[in-house]
Amino acid sequence: MDENTTHNKDGQDDSKSSRRNFLKNIGLLGAGVAAGAGALYSGDIFEKKKAATGESKVLLTQDNRLVEVDSLEMKALAKNPTKLMLEKGREGIEGKRWVMVIDLSKCRNARRCIAACQDAHQLKPEQYHLNTLQMQDNAGTAPYHMPKNCQHCDNPPCVAVCPVDATYKRGDGIVLIDNERCIGCRFCMAACPYSARIFQWTTPKDADRHSGEAYNVEINVPQKLGTISKCLFSADRCRVGKLPYCVSACPNGVYYFGDENEDAVSNGTTQQTVRLSKLLRDNGAYQLMPELGTKPRVYYLPPKNRLFPFEPATDEVSKEG
Amino acid sequence: MKRLLYILMLLAAVATRVEAQNPGWPVPDDQKGKICLVKFTPDMVKGGEAIYTKNCQSCHGLPAKKNFAAITPSPGDLSEPKAGTQKDGELFYRITTGKVPMPEFRNILTEDERWNVIAYLRTFHKGYVQPDPEKMAGTAGKRIKLSMTYDTLKKRIMVKAVELSKEGTKPAKGAEIMIFVQRYFGAMQLTDPKPTSESGYAGFDWPQDLPGDKAGNIIVSARVNDPTGSLQEAVVSDTLAIGVPTNKPALTDTRAMWSVSSKAPIWMILTYTLAVLVVWYFIIYIILSVLDIRKIKQA
Amino acid sequence: MDLIISDLSHHIRLNKGFFLWMGFLTLAFLACLFAYIQQLKYGLGVAGVRDYISWGLYISNFVFFVASSLIGMLISAVLGLIGMKWVHPITRIAETIAVAFAAVAGLVIVMDMGRPERLAYVFLYARFQSPILWDVTVITTYFVISLLLLLLPMIPDMAVLYKRFANLPSWLKPVYKVMSLNWSDHPEQNRIIHRSIYILLILIIPAALSIHTVTSWLFALTVRPGWDSTIFGPYFVSGAFVAGSAAVIIAMFFFRKNYKLQDYLTDLHFNNMGKVLVLVAFVYLYFNINEYLVPGYKLKRADAVHLRELMSGHFALMFWLVQVGGLLIPLILLLFRRMRKPLPLTMISVVVLIAAWFKRYLIVVPTMSHPFLPIQHVPENFKVYTPTIIEVAITLLSFILVLMIITLISKFFPVIPLVETAKDKGLDPLKSIQS
Repeated sequence: MDENTTHNKDGQDDSKSSRRNFLKNIGLLGAGVAAGAGALYSGDIFEKKKAATGESKVLLTQDNRLVEVDSLEMKALAKNPTKLMLEKGREGIEGKRWVMVIDLSKCRNARRCIAACQDAHQLKPEQYHLNTLQMQDNAGTAPYHMPKNCQHCDNPPCVAVCPVDATYKRGDGIVLIDNERCIGCRFCMAACPYSARIFQWTTPKDADRHSGEAYNVEINVPQKLGTISKCLFSADRCRVGKLPYCVSACPNGVYYFGDENEDAVSNGTTQQTVRLSKLLRDNGAYQLMPELGTKPRVYYLPPKNRLFPFEPATDEVSKEG
Repeated sequence: MKRLLYILMLLAAVATRVEAQNPGWPVPDDQKGKICLVKFTPDMVKGGEAIYTKNCQSCHGLPAKKNFAAITPSPGDLSEPKAGTQKDGELFYRITTGKVPMPEFRNILTEDERWNVIAYLRTFHKGYVQPDPEKMAGTAGKRIKLSMTYDTLKKRIMVKAVELSKEGTKPAKGAEIMIFVQRYFGAMQLTDPKPTSESGYAGFDWPQDLPGDKAGNIIVSARVNDPTGSLQEAVVSDTLAIGVPTNKPALTDTRAMWSVSSKAPIWMILTYTLAVLVVWYFIIYIILSVLDIRKIKQA
Repeated sequence: MDLIISDLSHHIRLNKGFFLWMGFLTLAFLACLFAYIQQLKYGLGVAGVRDYISWGLYISNFVFFVASSLIGMLISAVLGLIGMKWVHPITRIAETIAVAFAAVAGLVIVMDMGRPERLAYVFLYARFQSPILWDVTVITTYFVISLLLLLLPMIPDMAVLYKRFANLPSWLKPVYKVMSLNWSDHPEQNRIIHRSIYILLILIIPAALSIHTVTSWLFALTVRPGWDSTIFGPYFVSGAFVAGSAAVIIAMFFFRKNYKLQDYLTDLHFNNMGKVLVLVAFVYLYFNINEYLVPGYKLKRADAVHLRELMSGHFALMFWLVQVGGLLIPLILLLFRRMRKPLPLTMISVVVLIAAWFKRYLIVVPTMSHPFLPIQHVPENFKVYTPTIIEVAITLLSFILVLMIITLISKFFPVIPLVETAKDKGLDPLKSIQS
């Protein structure tokens, strides 16, 4: 007898263990399960695999409760996962204001963040949601490597100019792009002073492999020809309490990510959580081009007391993929 | 006599130099003796290799390849005797606690994973013999139980540690207590660890500006600083309404140029709509009146 | 009277030259259409634009088209309303150019879209805050007003030609009949038409200023050096008058020659248009000085890079050719009466028009070539913009469309307002059709 029917038999009072078993059972669904809309969709796949007979099933809801749903009813909801995810992706995570801190003194251009990001978002080698730039403020100052992603501005010039509400800012600060909506006018690219946005000029990477997959606006895959893409602060990971792809991938402790409302950021390498206000105060944090009034949600800690000597970047991408 | 003094001074200097090879990174004596409680297996070595590639290689390079990063202090090649002569407990402690620029792996790798890395490194250390776990069994650490209260007058978190043993309980003196608050992506350590007093208490000033949830609730936990992980019970956690109530509005709450169309600035909606209405009113009026020309005939 | 009618209408027929010209345009159109189909199929990657220089030929061309369409307003409204009688024969040419360029400008912007099939979203999900909505709105409005200003004055002409032009091709007759709206020169009809044209002439002034101001805002509402300017609106408008005047002069020259209108488009008209060109070129020069001298004096970091690239860097040759060869020298030449004769004036206008196109390129591309942050770790074609053949073909496509529209309008309708011209000469061509 499978775990699920055990649960149904035992009813509501059943102990945690059967729930745990149930979750284990659908473990293959992974993080997507918790992602609300994704949960319903994945549940649908699960249903199909199990050849449902109309009996009630247990599902994880958008507010992380386990509920019993009639499988027939559930299917009707799950018909268009893209749409469900689009709706979900319009709302930020309540009470959160994401913020990123980049410690330039630790960056040695390992570019693991870029690799993790390009992998997660199905990007070609020359397509960057995040790029480490070799900077030198003037001839007298020392060069340094600067990871540069979307600054998720609180006064985003890119969002202001969008004609169709395809790119939008959420309540939790993340600037997202709905590529089911984007008309490809590229006004946002022109408006962004940080060159944070990229465009799918040619057929996106592995387009054949991903064609037909439901579009998830919170990770912006599958990428779509003729639309915009950019850093999303890994909105999909934030939803499930995980640090963004780049933050987790850094081997050198460069990135901190967290919630400004909690006054805490976590380092992706050391997993250490520290007070945001103290980190910014103690290190003389600054923002990129604050004079433009964009109010970025990314802070930089200056490249002082560096742990690594500066080595010029050599990893040029020479050909368009 | 003078000569002897010189020799002694010289010896002392040499000794200091030897000591200075690892000047800022001493390992407490009680940690040096820690060993893995199972025999290293090929599976552990394999697992350790994977972890090493992911977490260690970017600085230490591949073992025996001497391709470690050129940074200060030098990470060194871990196949070298400098690492090979260290005890298991020393390696374990250093992996666990880290030291800038080396990250602390306490929260990144589980205890087992840390041992796997050591198992992997040991394959490069010639002459290494693993201490027999059998002999060491039964010497697990003390059992310490913690409790936590909030002193509203002094605005302090009070943590009490008691030692559990067969004879009963007694206050645990000198246990290093750390306190944490739960944040979205992990636990945040509040202040430096503090040892408990004679009576088993450690007090922590509570920061008055730390945000809690809407009601000011905040999950606080205390645990004994325990790099070896031998005191697994020594954790206490509680939800206390001592944070600053935080209910900041969503960033999209106000009307703005960048907001969705329905939240555009009022003047913008009015200006656009009025301008379009006025101009198109005239255009349509003209089109209609010009079409009327057809109906007018010469008398 | 009959002379006027035959002079102004004899070209309205299907002749060999027309078929050859239209055939040529159609072939070129099909070839360029093939380029656009490639772009639809493989994406905007077939063009040279990439992540940093993401606007290129298409947007430059769009700005040029909007600019050229602006002249309809200057000639008909501004000069017309202040009572300049000499503009009467030119108004229809100016409006034809305005209609053709405005109509195709809309298409040019679609050519630049990554997802042209989602064009309707601009209306479905319109955002009040986006300058693109404003642009779409004002260009549509301007196109409709210009079209009305082209059609309304034509109503009496249609009536006269329908009744009195014996050689009117039979297939055009029903068209003329419909367009004449039963015109019988009734006082009430005259009252309606005059009032309507008057209102339109007033409306077109803000509409025209809007289209180019809003188009300039596509750039000026960003913070990029070279675009972040408060004078971009008037700078673009004055530049538009230069381009448009040149376009009208060129069109006048061709119509005069091909349709044998020497008696109606006289040296006086060319001379006056030359003066108009001098005037607007002076205004444009004034704005150019403002646009480059003010940031050039302060040399703020990003502005300094921009100006260096323009004046002595990668774009220097094009910049000086355009500014000196395409604006300053023509301006000086046109101060001399001899240079305002039809042929030299037209030649100068061709230079001015070509320079005006490249000027748009110089406004769009250099600013995108040096953003605030460095361009690194990308292939060479991301760093330097080079238009592709397909891109050039698609740009040509828009010009072919403009030429087709101008050809069709001018070929099947009188290029010069017939009734107005007759009235200016003291004749009343409508007497005969009143009965």
